[in-house]
Formats: sequence, C-alpha cells, structure tokens
Amino acid sequence: MRFKMILASSLSKKIYMSIAGLVWSAFLLVHLLGNLQLLNPDRDPFNKYSYFLTHQTGEFIYLAEFLLAFFFITHFLYAIWVQIGNWRARPHGYSMVRWAKNTSKRSLGSVTMIYTGALVLIFLVLHLIHFKYGEVVYYTPKGYTHQIRDMYFTVMEFFKNPVNVFFYVAVMVLLGFHLSHGAWSAFQSLGLSGKRFTPFIYTIGVLFAIVVAVGFVFLPLWIYFTRGGAL
Amino acid sequence: MEKKKLTIHLKVWRQKDADSKGKFVNYTVNDVNPDMSFLEMLDVLNEELIKKDEEPIEFDNDCREGICGMCGSVINGTAHGPQSGMTTCDVRMRMFKDGETIVVEPFRARAFPVIKDLAVDRSALDRIMSKGGYTSVRTGGVPEALSVPVPKPNADEAMDMAACIGCGACVAACPNASAALFVGAKVSHLALLPQGRPEAARRVERMVAQMDEEGFGACSNHGECEAVCPKEISITAIGRMRREYLKAMFK
Amino acid sequence: MKLDSKVPGGHLSEKWDNHKDALKLVSPKNKRNFSVIVVGTGLAGASAAASLGELGYKVINLCIQDSPRRAHSIAAQGGINAAKNYQNDNDSIWRLFYDTIKGGDYRAREANVYRLAQVSNAIIDQAVAQGVPFAREYGGYFANRSFGGALVSRTFYARGQTGQQLLLGAYGALMRQVDEGNVRLFPRREMVDLVVINGKARGIVARNLITGELETYMADAVILATGGYGVAYFLSTNAINSNASAVWRAHKKGAFFGNPCFVQIHPTCIPRSGDYQSKLTLMSESLRNDGRVWVPLKKGDKRHPNDIPEEERDYYLERKYPTFGNMVPRDVASRNAKMVCDEGRGVGETGMAVYLDFRDAIRDLGRETIEERYGNLFEMYKDITGEDAYEVPMRIYPAVHYTMGGLWVDYNLMSTVPGLFVLGEANFSDHGANRLGASALMQGLADGYFIIPYTIADYLAGTKLEKVSEDNEAFKEAKEEARSRYEKLLSVKGNKTVREFHRELGDILWNKVGMSRNEQGLKEAIEEISKLREEYWNNVRVAGEMNTMNKNLEMAGRVADFLELAELMAIDALHRTESCGGHFREESQTPEGEALRDDENFSYVAAWEFKETGKWEMHKEDLKFEFVTPTQRSYK
Repeated sequence: MRFKMILASSLSKKIYMSIAGLVWSAFLLVHLLGNLQLLNPDRDPFNKYSYFLTHQTGEFIYLAEFLLAFFFITHFLYAIWVQIGNWRARPHGYSMVRWAKNTSKRSLGSVTMIYTGALVLIFLVLHLIHFKYGEVVYYTPKGYTHQIRDMYFTVMEFFKNPVNVFFYVAVMVLLGFHLSHGAWSAFQSLGLSGKRFTPFIYTIGVLFAIVVAVGFVFLPLWIYFTRGGAL
Repeated sequence: MEKKKLTIHLKVWRQKDADSKGKFVNYTVNDVNPDMSFLEMLDVLNEELIKKDEEPIEFDNDCREGICGMCGSVINGTAHGPQSGMTTCDVRMRMFKDGETIVVEPFRARAFPVIKDLAVDRSALDRIMSKGGYTSVRTGGVPEALSVPVPKPNADEAMDMAACIGCGACVAACPNASAALFVGAKVSHLALLPQGRPEAARRVERMVAQMDEEGFGACSNHGECEAVCPKEISITAIGRMRREYLKAMFK
Repeated sequence: MKLDSKVPGGHLSEKWDNHKDALKLVSPKNKRNFSVIVVGTGLAGASAAASLGELGYKVINLCIQDSPRRAHSIAAQGGINAAKNYQNDNDSIWRLFYDTIKGGDYRAREANVYRLAQVSNAIIDQAVAQGVPFAREYGGYFANRSFGGALVSRTFYARGQTGQQLLLGAYGALMRQVDEGNVRLFPRREMVDLVVINGKARGIVARNLITGELETYMADAVILATGGYGVAYFLSTNAINSNASAVWRAHKKGAFFGNPCFVQIHPTCIPRSGDYQSKLTLMSESLRNDGRVWVPLKKGDKRHPNDIPEEERDYYLERKYPTFGNMVPRDVASRNAKMVCDEGRGVGETGMAVYLDFRDAIRDLGRETIEERYGNLFEMYKDITGEDAYEVPMRIYPAVHYTMGGLWVDYNLMSTVPGLFVLGEANFSDHGANRLGASALMQGLADGYFIIPYTIADYLAGTKLEKVSEDNEAFKEAKEEARSRYEKLLSVKGNKTVREFHRELGDILWNKVGMSRNEQGLKEAIEEISKLREEYWNNVRVAGEMNTMNKNLEMAGRVADFLELAELMAIDALHRTESCGGHFREESQTPEGEALRDDENFSYVAAWEFKETGKWEMHKEDLKFEFVTPTQRSYK
C-alpha cells in the first residue's frame, strides 16, 4: 500500500516524471548555452569546454551522465506506464471531439507528449551515436601541449549534410512542443500551482520552450548556411 | 414576438445495455423553440418515439437547473455542450443553428460504463468519496460552531472547491479520463478548512488510491476539466491535491 | 382509530428533554441485531442513515438517483435557519419557534415546531464540523442574513448552494458509514411498495432502475425520507424524479396522509415558455427587494414593455398593499399574480407572467449596485430566457415549490403504521399551512440527525419483532402486485403518453387546486381527476419493457400514483373551507381579499385514511395552542 502510494499512484508517477523532466529541462538550457560557443569562429573555446567536461571534472561527469540517464529512463518508463493507463482509461473514444476553449490548457503540445517524447528518445540515441560515440578527430589547440578531441570539427562536418540539418531542426521543433506543455506542467504536477502562480508559470513554460527550440533550431541552420562550407 | 422555430438533426448514441454494442442513430426534430432546453428537445423527440412505438432515448437528468449533477452528455464533442459553465440541462436550443446536426454521445471512460443510451454509471465517484470525502465526525460529537474561526479567504476558497456537483464532466472531457479535478476539489475543500486538517493525509492517500483503483487515467494537466466544469472549478484544486499528497508521502 | 400525537407533557421548553429521558435505549451490542431501511438520501434520509449507521444499526439505504448526493435537497439556495443569535439581534429559540408556527398560519403542532427550533443550533454545529463552508466574515466567524421577511438575521448560507453543501456534509457522513460497512447503499432503486407484517412495517419492494428487477428488502423498521409531491402539478420547481410513490404506497398500506392540500407556491419563478416545458426554475425571492411588479392596465396589451408608458402600467402589489408593497409574503404575491393573469393582463407569449421591473432600481441605485446584488440571478435569467433583464423587465410567474402536507406522523416521527417513520418533506409535521424560507433544510436535518436516532431506538427496544423472511407471503404478494401493475401499464398500449396525462393532471391541479381554490372548482377537479385516472388505465401508452432501464415506465408508475393523490388533495382542499397559509379558499376571505382562517372549526390536522381508490376516511388531530395565541396575518 505504502509502496504503491509512493511509487506507483497516478499522482506519484507524475511527480517523478516532473522531477525528471525539470532536470532535463535544466540540462537542455546548459547544453544550449554551451553550444552557443559554436557561433565562435575560433574552435578552441568550444573544444576546451568539451574537454573540460569530459576530462577535467573527475568522477563528476560519470555521476552527471548517470543521473541524466537515470532521469531520462525514469521519465520514459513512467511516461509509457502513465500513457498506457490513460489509453486504457477510455477504451471507447468519442466520435467527435471539440476542445473546450475557455481556460483549457490543452494544446497540440499537450496531446502529443507521448509522440514527441518518443521521437526525442530516438533522437537522443542517434545524437549520442553522432557525437558522443561518433568519429573522433584529435588536434592540439593553442596553448595546449596535448591533443584533445575536435568536437567543433565533428559538429561542423555533421551539419554540412542538409539531411542531418533537417532532422535536427524537425526534432528540435517537436522538442519545443514537448516543452511547451511539459515545462509548466511539471510545476503543476508537483503541486506548485495557485491562482496567480499558474498563469505565470504557464507563460514562463511556453517562453522556455520557445527559447530552447529556437536556440537548438538556430544552431544547425546557422552552421549550414554560414559556416558549414567554410571548413 | 414569435420566435423562429428550428429544425435540428441529431446523431444520438443508442446502446441497449452495458453489454451490447452501440451505434449512432439519426433523428430530426422539427419546430424546435429556441427557448427550449436541450433536454426538453430530447423530451419532445422521446414523445414522438413513444408514439411511433420506438424506444425513447434514455438519459439521466433530475433537477434541470444545473445543480444536481445527474445530467451529462457530450454534445458536439464537448462535455455539457458548447458553452462554458453549464450543465447539459442548462444548454438551450438557441445556441444551435437552424438545420444544424448535433452529435450526442455519453460520457466515455472505463470507469463510467454505459448503462443504456446516454446514461452511464458514475458510482466510481461515490466509491472515491467513501474513502475520505468527509470529516470523520459523529452526529452530535462536535464542538460549538463558533469555537473554530475560519479565515474568510479560506472559507471562500473552500466554497469554490466545494461547489463541485459530481457530474463527471471533468472525466468525460479529460483526454485521459482522469478524475483528478473531482478528487482535487474535494481534497482541497476539506484541506482548506481547519475541520478537515486532522485527516488530510489519510484522506488524500485513500481517495487517490481509490481513484486509481477505479481505472481513471492520470492527470496530465490539459485543463479541459476546468474548461467544461459547470461550476468552473480551477485546476489549482489538482495542484493543492498534489501538495497534500506530497505531504502525505513524507508522513 | 384515534390519532395519538404522543406529544409529551410539561412546559413547551421541557417537552423534548423530558421525552428523550423517557425513551428506551438499545444496548450497543444489540444495535447490530437491528436493521433499518432508509428510503431516500436527501438531507433527512442521508442524515438519518449516517447517524443510525454510526450508532451501529445495520442500515439499508436506497435512492432513486445514481448517487445519494443528487437528492433534490441540493437545489435549496437560500439558507438554513438557526436560533444561534450570533448577530446579537435578540433572536432566540422562542422567536424561531414563534416565527415558524406563525408563518405556518397556526396549523402545525406547537411541540414539534418548538423542538425544531431547539435542535436548530446543533445542526449548525454539526454542519460546520463536517466542513460545510458557510459564509464567513473577516474575523473568521459567520455571516448571517435575514430571509423571507424575518426580523432577525438567523439564516446561515453557503453562497447560493446551501442545500447542496449541507447535503454534501450529510452525504459524506453517509459515505463514511458505507465504507465502514454499517450502511449498505442501493442507488438507482425506486420503492414500489411497503411490506407490512403483523401490523408492522418490515420491508419494502423496490425496482432496480437499471435491470428493472423487483427486489425485496427486509428490516425491523422502515424510514421514508422521500420528499414532497409537488411534481403532481407536472410543472414545479422540484426535480424531474421527485415523486410521491413511496409515501403513496405506504399510505395505501395504512399510513394516514396529513393535510394533503397544503402546497406552497413560490412567486418568483421563470415562467413557462411553451408546452414542451418540463420544469420551472426558481429565482431567489430577494429580487422583490428592488424589482417592481407590474402588468399593463389594459387587457391583451401586446406592446413591448418598454413602450408601455408609466400611466398605463399597474403596479398592483404596491397599489393593493401600500405598506409591504412588492414584499408581501409568498402566497399573497403568488395569488395576486394569478389574479391579474386570469383577468387577461398577463404578459409574455403565453400571457402567464407578470413583469418584475428593475428600471427604477437601476435608475436610482445604478446598474452596478443591481449587478452586485443580483448579477448571478440576472445571468441565470438570461441563460434560460435569452433576455437581458437590465434592459427588459423580467417576466416571472408563481410555481409549485414545496408541499407542507405529507404522511401523518406522531411526535416520534412514526406514521400510523408501527415501524414506519417518515422524515423531512415527506411528513406533514412542522410547517403547518405554509413554510418559511430557510426552514426546509432545518427540518430535514433535525429529523435525520437529532430526532430519529432517539425515537427509533424506543420503537426497536419496546416492540416485539417477529422473525420474517423473504418467503413471507406479504413480500411475495407485494412483489407480485408491483409486477402486475407494471405489466398492466405496459400492456394498455393506448394513444396518450404518460407525459400528456401528467400535463393534463397538472393543469387541473394548477387551475383548481392551486393558488386560489373554490368549492365549485374543487368539485370539478375531483371529478376530472377520477375521470382522467380511469382514462389513464385504459389509454396510456408506455414504451419499452419492464426488465431494462425504462424511465418512461418509472414515470408511468409515478403518474398513476399522482392521479390518486391529486384527488385526495382536492378532497382535502374541498373539506377545509377556511383559508390558511398556502391554502386559499375564495369563500373564506376578509373584505380586503385576504386569507381568513377559521380557528373554531379547522384548528386540526386532517389525516386521511385510505379505504379504496377514490375513498378516504378523515381523522382529526386537534391542534391545541397552549403557549401561543393564533392571530390573523395582515400585510396592508
């Protein structure tokens, strides 16, 4: 009973999904900020940043990776669990559905969470294959005596291919939809709501989704159209 | 002052009983007075059906003034019809156009099995209430009413939450068929009052457990429930329920 | 049979306490061995079932709706009275008692009404502990208001939802007992007969409204809390499923019916707009504080109300009652509305409405003030009629609202059938000939929470109850009788629908047993009703089958009962040649046209014993007023 209450009720499932979602939202923001160094024509800062994360943070990176993976899997598994429950909760659907306008927060983003989420999952696997486990090119940045990975080069190469650009842009748009509902919704699912707070966090959530999506959409496009050919 | 009469086409869900397969049946009702309520229009249709030796359409209804919570259909894709803050019995025919086709379906959820036609079984909501939709006091064993002051803002918000009429439209409109607004409203009503505090944790734990047991979906904050709620109960009720639940988890 | 009201001796203020002290108790262990059926889950039924369950009795509780929470008590808007004197306006139990008995035009038992006032305070305590969100002031204590012309502010309210909130409190208590296994709940059941064995009520037959099956329930006592019979009029403010069948079947099994002609008609309802109309909606009486009631001076004046000049308007209430004006009591306002409409001066499409005009109030007080006071009512009016009452005068008309009459009960709330108790609107007891605003909720809860738990114990402890089983002939017979009745209704296959009959019956009652009654009309009504009843059983068309959900069949059974009850209402109204409260006999009025009571000849409760269909014998319970002196009302 207690176990079920804490780990498996309709409310607690959403609590963990929310926590995981918020962790990932924060990660996305950090990731985006880091990636902005790609706008710098000098490849060194980005590569050094990348090197710092992977080689100079000690055990921390493993912990961070573990936590990210853990939260992603938590989010994913609970999402599947919740969604199956939700599908089962209405075995016979309506022949006609007209969304209530009024105060409803239902949106394209909110009703496609499981699909946008699934695509993000596929994307994440590919993303790791492309970059984390992709082709590794070494070089020696200025002021260094040893070689480090030229992540900058890998990214630039990758986005020379319009197919890759299209895929990334498309998924980042979907991610934006996912966040447009997910971000504020996480607060609501954690019980952080109120007459004034809910409209506020809803707006913040949508803005956050736009910032993240626009940022991540912009990078590949920018690389493709301006810098892609330069290397 | 004679008002223009309407012709209304209906596509109504007909289902003999819980075990039968249902289907949509088309009807046309002529000379509909725009001042008629939606249910009165169904009454008129039923009178015609009875005269034609056909079975009338079963639909639940009682007070017909928007307070008992017994009526409820999905009208043209929206629980309780096109206008917000209304029950099905409050819907008037002037909200529809002459010659319009109206699709009428029962509330649909696994926890609300169809009994017949548009009538569904919402006893799941009662079972949830039996797990904690009250303060555990006995008749007579209570203090003088003045002994516990209640701050007016709390009393007012508790009243907002207590306004739930248990119609189940929140479940019907929720893409997940979740009863979170229903449970959240009751949990919030009692959590806001000092009288409800002593068993706040037990209440939310038991009511949520029963809600899950009944096969309702999980709330994913679409907010459709609030938009169709005849009493316009805010989803902050769900937020408060979750806060109470978190507190209970740490108890 | 001599009616024994069992009113205890002693001073009014001591009667209930003395009586409680004398009542027998059931030992805690023994309570488990007693079972009680409670029919109905409104304020009276739910509070009774919950309280008895808490005490440890085995309770069987049935309701007609899909959930106990939907009983029609929920529709009460205004509030609930209690003699708390929180406003320091010198209210007291005595004053609440006095106002109630006077408001009832001295046709209720002193002892009952006093007890009601006494327990009123405990009801508030109970409701508050249950979490009923009564309106509060900033200090955290209660906001009260004056209601229905009372001189003190003793009405507690929870926005416009007082009935709903009180019922949710009682329903919560009930559901707690359901969870604990003390109460077994059977929703979607309609009681179709009372089973009497060896002269005692021992069970009921009910129809399962989902499967259509007839089911039997046994117990040591039966409580009816099934509400009033206003739906006999077809159009009323009652809910569609409100009916008199439970009390009527009990009546036919020996329970006397008290004062059936006492019906309350509420003056401010939204008028009907056509034949299809299924129900009338009440709007708060408070509208009359600022609205002015008028009709055109000329008959059949079809001009738009705003085009009718001041001098061609008749503000008839202000004209006839210069002191009280638009604020005259419910019955006076209702009767006058009917009078002007009968003269052909009614307004609206049907000519069955009068204007309630806010033009002057808006001019004097500003639209904002009016919006603040009545915004939600204006909105409701607009939702229903599509008209904007800020621009066009509202149209209102009286509608049947509450029935003071009901099964006769003694001081213990027991009917003339031993073991059959009747609570709330279903009994005749506390409101006399007219009910005051905010008193219905009080009575329902008083009966259920604080009276029946004590008096039923006395019955159970002091009565020899034989063992019975469902195989008992009486159960089989009752079930068979119910089955054949339904089969008969289905087999007629006539030309008129149940609804058509019901509407016809409603018209007869409304016109002849309504706000204003006279000998000729009542005699005609009696004849017309019995004729209609005969036609009913030969020409009704009921759809569908018995063994399935079939609302048409349910209604057919209820209308059959209304057709019998209606005749008794007319007979009772005919015999009572005085006017009192909601019962206005044109033959008995003051020269100014006001109701004139005849205390010498009619200071009694008429309790009717059923003999056979269309035949009753009247028994009188004399009303003695030892502590108050009946006076004549005057509102000039």
